Amino acid sequence: MSSLIWYVYEFARKTWINRFTDAKSHKESVEKPSRFRDFPVVIKENCIGCGSCIASCPSPTAIKLVRDETTEEAEGLVYPVINEGGCIRCGFCAEVCPSNPKTLECGENHLIKEDFNIIPSKRRYIVDDYLCIKCNSCIKACPVDAVSVVDGHVKVNQLKCIACGECVKACKVKGAMKGIFIDNLQDQRKLIKLVVDSLEKYIEAQQEDLEKLAPESLLQLKFPISNIWDEALKIIPDTEIAHEIIENAVDRLKIRVITWNSEKCMKCQMCVKECPIGAISFDEERDTIVRDHDKCCRCSICFQTCPFAVIKLFLAKFVLDSDDEGNEYAFITVTPSQLDHDFIKGEHNAG
Amino acid sequence: MIVPIGPVHPGLKEPLRLKLETQGERVVKAEIDYGYVHRGIEKIMEGKTWQKCIYLAERICGICSYEHTQSFAEVLEHMAGVYAPPRAQFLRVITNELDRIQSHYLANSTFFKCLDHELLFMKVLELREYAMDSIELLTGNRVNMGWNVLGGVRMDANEEHFNAILENLKVIEENHDRIVELFSEGSVLALRTKGVGEMTREEALKGRAVGPIGRASGLKHDCREFHPTYRDHLDFSPIWRKEGDNYARVMNRFDEIPQSIDLIKQAIDNMPKGDIRVPVEVNTGYSEWVNEAPRGEVKYMCETNGNLIKHISIRTPSITNIDSCAKYMLTNVPTVADAVATYASCDPCIACAERVQVLNRDTNEKIVKDMF
Repeated sequence: MSSLIWYVYEFARKTWINRFTDAKSHKESVEKPSRFRDFPVVIKENCIGCGSCIASCPSPTAIKLVRDETTEEAEGLVYPVINEGGCIRCGFCAEVCPSNPKTLECGENHLIKEDFNIIPSKRRYIVDDYLCIKCNSCIKACPVDAVSVVDGHVKVNQLKCIACGECVKACKVKGAMKGIFIDNLQDQRKLIKLVVDSLEKYIEAQQEDLEKLAPESLLQLKFPISNIWDEALKIIPDTEIAHEIIENAVDRLKIRVITWNSEKCMKCQMCVKECPIGAISFDEERDTIVRDHDKCCRCSICFQTCPFAVIKLFLAKFVLDSDDEGNEYAFITVTPSQLDHDFIKGEHNAG
Repeated sequence: MIVPIGPVHPGLKEPLRLKLETQGERVVKAEIDYGYVHRGIEKIMEGKTWQKCIYLAERICGICSYEHTQSFAEVLEHMAGVYAPPRAQFLRVITNELDRIQSHYLANSTFFKCLDHELLFMKVLELREYAMDSIELLTGNRVNMGWNVLGGVRMDANEEHFNAILENLKVIEENHDRIVELFSEGSVLALRTKGVGEMTREEALKGRAVGPIGRASGLKHDCREFHPTYRDHLDFSPIWRKEGDNYARVMNRFDEIPQSIDLIKQAIDNMPKGDIRVPVEVNTGYSEWVNEAPRGEVKYMCETNGNLIKHISIRTPSITNIDSCAKYMLTNVPTVADAVATYASCDPCIACAERVQVLNRDTNEKIVKDMF
């Protein structure tokens, strides 16, 4: 019995003393300065669901837009949710938020004037002067007056643009107003490399047909996009953006294809000397000429120097189109190069 | 015998390995190994919009984070040809000097900790709090301030803020001399610091030492002399010493603090009125900018394509200072304990320095340990 009383006394004493010893570490007793930027406070009712807070956030995992469940009485609210593990408390989302009154509040940042709220967007909107017919329909469509006529040209003010894309929808000429995708440049680079590499490999695989090809004649090929579609989605998971990048890459593409017929080669090593970046080397052990495929810059100097027509150069052009069933293909036309083949001989004759 | 110190060591703030070659207790030669906190922050910046990158630049260094945002803002302002309004420039000077005060106090307190002088360590850190408080009052946060933006600063300051900062500075001024006297007049401390870890002017030039470390060895180089705001509006001349030992480096940092306080007072007295921010539209181009961080010269080289950062490379002062410390200061140091203190006296900031590694492509060996 006495021990029980002692335990109760000890417990009470400790908790009572702890009130004083821990006083400073309690959250309530810490005074925050007036401008202190804590995690942003979300006021659900004001949100218009524009997503500019997500576009502005420097941290990739800090903000998400969420929608409440819709009931019979009302539609569910859309509002941002802040992940405190990812937030770096810069307060840029509160600065950028366009709703009035603001959805996000953070220190004094939400009081900053609207003139400076520049939203870093994933797309940049640009007018093509050559195609623009100056119908002014984009000026009428813009909700924030970012598009205007300056010195007789239609121009987009990048400081005001909120990247909503209304101007592209309103534009009457296809391609006059462009929304260029500028985010994830490194991933875009990887995707374009994948497209170019797979197309080149596909053409090089048809070497027998290319050998037979007469000068000033065409070879037409078909490459189904579905071959690389799965790999492309691994790099950029968004189907729309991935398709747009592939389309842009294929439409403007012109590549040089080099074929190498090693049976004809006499190992004169002239190409080894002429190659400007050292992509071609002579392997003494196996007694063959080796060409480094990745290093080669397709400058065509080896094609012009080779006296035995071992190397051949072709030009390939591409168009992306779909057939009647809706499958998309890259249509390829390959032509032999019109360059002077025997470069050394020609030089010798001229001299 | 080779004595390894680190990478995890209570005396060092950040991970780094010191290999000390000793003869008895005397340290003859030293080698430094880094690469433990490499984050690749320049690569993360590439392909992002500049609005986001200013918050990434803030996280390059944990102590002088302010100077990085200012340099980033100024390099892009320089490219666009639009400069911050005068009031914003003066506010930047105030924050910059407050940051310098707290950084110098922290560096010196670390040095005293390595000397096992706990009294000075605590006293100096206590004074540092007043500088931190004024930073918090002005900008909102203590370390990652988020105060600079392109074209100016985010929030205006009023008379109340200035008065509170001046009161805090008054406390620092009152106690500063007393604490410096504890160090400079103390006979034991003088024995352990004078003539230890000496670096001559020629060696400092060879090792490209910058900031207070270079200035303590007689290199009269301070980038604030060329900065437009300091050059045109403020009265200022760099502080330097000739000795080049541990004592000189610590005293050089102590002497710069009253000068910083004086600069803040000048800025508050001559504070112009007007806007604090102008809109900036970034164009395609390339530009460079140099600024004086608490540790020395910071250089930003940046290339944009209008909206995105195409390429950026940042040179921080720590990399040259740490290398010159290993090569020239850590030769002929009396004891191993003094070698650690000498290392602390060069004010190392490892996270600052580790950004680029140059590898030999064929053998995967490091050619240069860490470049800029």
